[in-house]
Amino acid sequence: MSENTSLVSAGAGIANRNRRYVVWFYLLNLAFAHFGATTFNDNAHAILDHSLHADKLLHGFNLGVFIEFLGRPEFGASPAATHPAMIFAVVFFLANLLFMPGVLLGYASDHRLPRDEFYRVCGRNVWRFVRLFLFFIVIAGIVAGILFGALNALVAAADKTSNERLPFFIQLLGTLIIFLVLTVIRIWFDLAQTEVVLRDQPAVRKSVAAGFRSTRRNLGRLLGSYVVIAIAALAVLVAGVWLWEAIVPPSSVLGAFIIGEATLLLLLAMRFWQRATAVAFYVSERAEPIIEEARSVPAFPAPAVP
Amino acid sequence: MLVRLRFTLCLIAGSMAVPAFGQTGSDIEMTIPATTSAINSATPLSQRVVAYDMDAKYDAKAHTLEASETLTYHNLTGQALDTFPFHLYLNAFQPTSTWVREGKREETRGQNFEKWDKKSYGAEEIRSFEVVGQGDFTSRLEFIHPDDDNKDDRSVVQVRLLKPIPPDGYVQFKIKFHDQFPETLERTGWNRDFVLGGQWFPKVGVWWHGAWNCHQFHAYTEFFADFGVFDVKLTVPQNEVVGGGGIEVSSTNNPDGTKTVAYHAEDIHDFAWTASPHYLIYNDTFQGSMGPVKLRIMLQPAHWSQVQREARVLKESMDRFDRWYGPYPYKSLTLVDPDPGSQAFGMEYPTFITGGTTWWEPEGEYFGSAETIEHEFGHQYWYGMVATNEFEDAWMDEGINQYTQIKVMSSIFGASTSNLNLWGVTAGQTDEDRFFYVRLADLDPIAKNGWQYVDSNTYGGITYGKTALVLRTLENLIGEDTMRQAMHTYFLRYRFTHPTKEDFLKTIEEVSGKDLRWYFNQAVYGTQVLDYGVLRIDSTPLDWYKENLKEKKGETEYICNVWIQRKGEFVMPVDVEIKFDNGDKVREHWDGQERWVRYAYQKKAKIESVEIDPDHKIFFDRNNFNNSRTEEANGAPARKLTNYWTCISQFFAQFLTWWLV
Repeated sequence: MSENTSLVSAGAGIANRNRRYVVWFYLLNLAFAHFGATTFNDNAHAILDHSLHADKLLHGFNLGVFIEFLGRPEFGASPAATHPAMIFAVVFFLANLLFMPGVLLGYASDHRLPRDEFYRVCGRNVWRFVRLFLFFIVIAGIVAGILFGALNALVAAADKTSNERLPFFIQLLGTLIIFLVLTVIRIWFDLAQTEVVLRDQPAVRKSVAAGFRSTRRNLGRLLGSYVVIAIAALAVLVAGVWLWEAIVPPSSVLGAFIIGEATLLLLLAMRFWQRATAVAFYVSERAEPIIEEARSVPAFPAPAVP
Repeated sequence: MLVRLRFTLCLIAGSMAVPAFGQTGSDIEMTIPATTSAINSATPLSQRVVAYDMDAKYDAKAHTLEASETLTYHNLTGQALDTFPFHLYLNAFQPTSTWVREGKREETRGQNFEKWDKKSYGAEEIRSFEVVGQGDFTSRLEFIHPDDDNKDDRSVVQVRLLKPIPPDGYVQFKIKFHDQFPETLERTGWNRDFVLGGQWFPKVGVWWHGAWNCHQFHAYTEFFADFGVFDVKLTVPQNEVVGGGGIEVSSTNNPDGTKTVAYHAEDIHDFAWTASPHYLIYNDTFQGSMGPVKLRIMLQPAHWSQVQREARVLKESMDRFDRWYGPYPYKSLTLVDPDPGSQAFGMEYPTFITGGTTWWEPEGEYFGSAETIEHEFGHQYWYGMVATNEFEDAWMDEGINQYTQIKVMSSIFGASTSNLNLWGVTAGQTDEDRFFYVRLADLDPIAKNGWQYVDSNTYGGITYGKTALVLRTLENLIGEDTMRQAMHTYFLRYRFTHPTKEDFLKTIEEVSGKDLRWYFNQAVYGTQVLDYGVLRIDSTPLDWYKENLKEKKGETEYICNVWIQRKGEFVMPVDVEIKFDNGDKVREHWDGQERWVRYAYQKKAKIESVEIDPDHKIFFDRNNFNNSRTEEANGAPARKLTNYWTCISQFFAQFLTWWLV
């Protein structure tokens, strides 16, 4: 437990010292979502700005009026409004794929990473990260497919009983187990990504193997750390939704914006916290200074990990 | 014991009250019992045409039923009858039936029959068919298909007698039949160890308007039958908890591990029952204006925590109907909470309704069990007692019931929150009806045979949604009190009969004292869509031509113009309210005959806003957003929704990235 705590707090320390990464990624997240919502925004203004009926959406939230709004031909086919958001979500994912090597290197460094170095390491690792992503997709896809298939079969079997709660709880428990298994795979690949960047490892399969070994040997410690942070993220989400519902007046667009964005910022920070924890673990596990093996990476001392 | 003794005495007294023996088609004296033991009335309430006496044994493992039926039919048609059609509804659950063909075409109620599942098979096979005094007719039965040319449909069978039954005569049929229930389809059948026996026995058609009315079972139509008396004995395994229509007369354990439960019902036109080992029973009483009604709520164990909520909604619904529309005259009402996941939820049978809930249903969510209970109870009036033809006039049971649902649910839970009031999100019953109607507004009229709608969505959107909205608007045209009085009159006048659409419409005209043909012709018989909109508003300074004109609020004079457009074909007079920026308001009344109208004013004020139907009396305007226009834009609603959407998009992007990178 104390090991977990130290790892989590070490990760928190790293993420906190490098808050700028969270802020930058949050701004990217917000900007892309804003771009994705442009069509929605334009259509909404066209329908609602001059209509008194829109009042039922401002002072309260009448679901019937909202559905009617979505159904208006002037709103456009809903894909026209929703697809841009999906596309920009993918763009945000690609941005993460592209810039995450720089973040990982920054996390492993005890000083502020120069901008050119940040971009250099990002560029050097693009293809490696794409390959790691493909590895991840194949492995996580197969595992998730098998587990979800088994879960569906279990739920279907439970559904044959007259105990109405049983399928729900099996679904809940099964989803939780799948979440844990996928988290393990995520840890494995977080470590592999860290290895790729900090070792400047061109053969990603070696990093995948190394990540697997580290995860297997330290499963309890790593999984415990990740789960603690995930629980914190869930608490943030619940608190954000509760605050939104409890203290933001229905007509306060600004209040809803502040609460919503604060929640999303914190949620994003949680994932970076997990990343920082993986880096802290990786560095603490390595006896020799990482700089010695990172061929073209500038020298930096290992971060202080308790 | 005392209750049982009282009941027995009542039965004896009832059966002695009216010895209605009649002329028969045979030498045997036949009669329809005139008992009144199941109703809070000293005399029969309906003109009893049929008496069903059935004895059925249910095999819970095979989901089959062996039964005998004795049907006594009183010929009140005024003419001799030599043919009798019978519904065999369970035969609809066969791959070549009209019901399945239509279901596959329409994906009715989510059943798309992508592939045929053996568990969906249902059958109602007549093993023997005797006409008392005329012999065995089993081999003379012929399947007919009055609605289509599907020769493989076996949902209606007809018998032609050797000797016709004279006017006011009686005929008795003795039928032995075998049922195979499907895994619940169309509110009947089994699910796990639960069964709901609906439309399970050969049921004679209705002689209506000079002909037999006995339609095939269609994918989204319901039922039509004559009033009478039902005596039903059900034999089931002893571990089953059983419920049925009418009152329970007796329950006897048999030596073979089964038990026989007997039911008696009067002045109803259908009988349904249910059995499951798991039901928990909650008994209550509603004090109606005709006497006490014994309520029996049969709940799934996981839903027991909701029993008080269910009882409350049921009793409050009964209270509103009793006070507003008329009394519930039966001595019993059974509310069934069917097996979770079954297709038996939300169905009405006389004195027997099914609800449906989940173990997690939160307070503030009323479109689930609360609405279902109210809706199905409402059918005790609009279908149960006012027994309209559900095949041909579906709107008269579903739509009128949907209208009264708006009234009752709004009375219980508030007009704007009667559908949903959860976490700041609200919806009223009319919102729900608009949701179903608006998308399909012009495809079909209200007055149409139920099976001839474009598809099941239109059937639902028009018969339920449009009818409710049209009647809610009508209420505003003639006044709420007048509308309630009209509904009350309609109920009292046509209960225990089979009224037509014109019976209903003429009653409203009669009570309101208004000629409403212009409205009914468009709203009920037509497909015209109602859509009014503010086309344009303009405030131009009177001295616009002067150079260096400086506008001053309260001093500058304007020519103000408002254009109102009738965008749809539905013509209806509307009020228009114009607000000026000095606080003045002007109300105009437009007959809507032309396609547009312009109102012009000369004032020391500019137009601030224009609103059509400012009192919100019209509920089926297809587009409510264009009913008003403000001079100044208010971007806050759009910003609010965009903010929601942005947050959702951000969350989605983060979630995607959390797992993938």
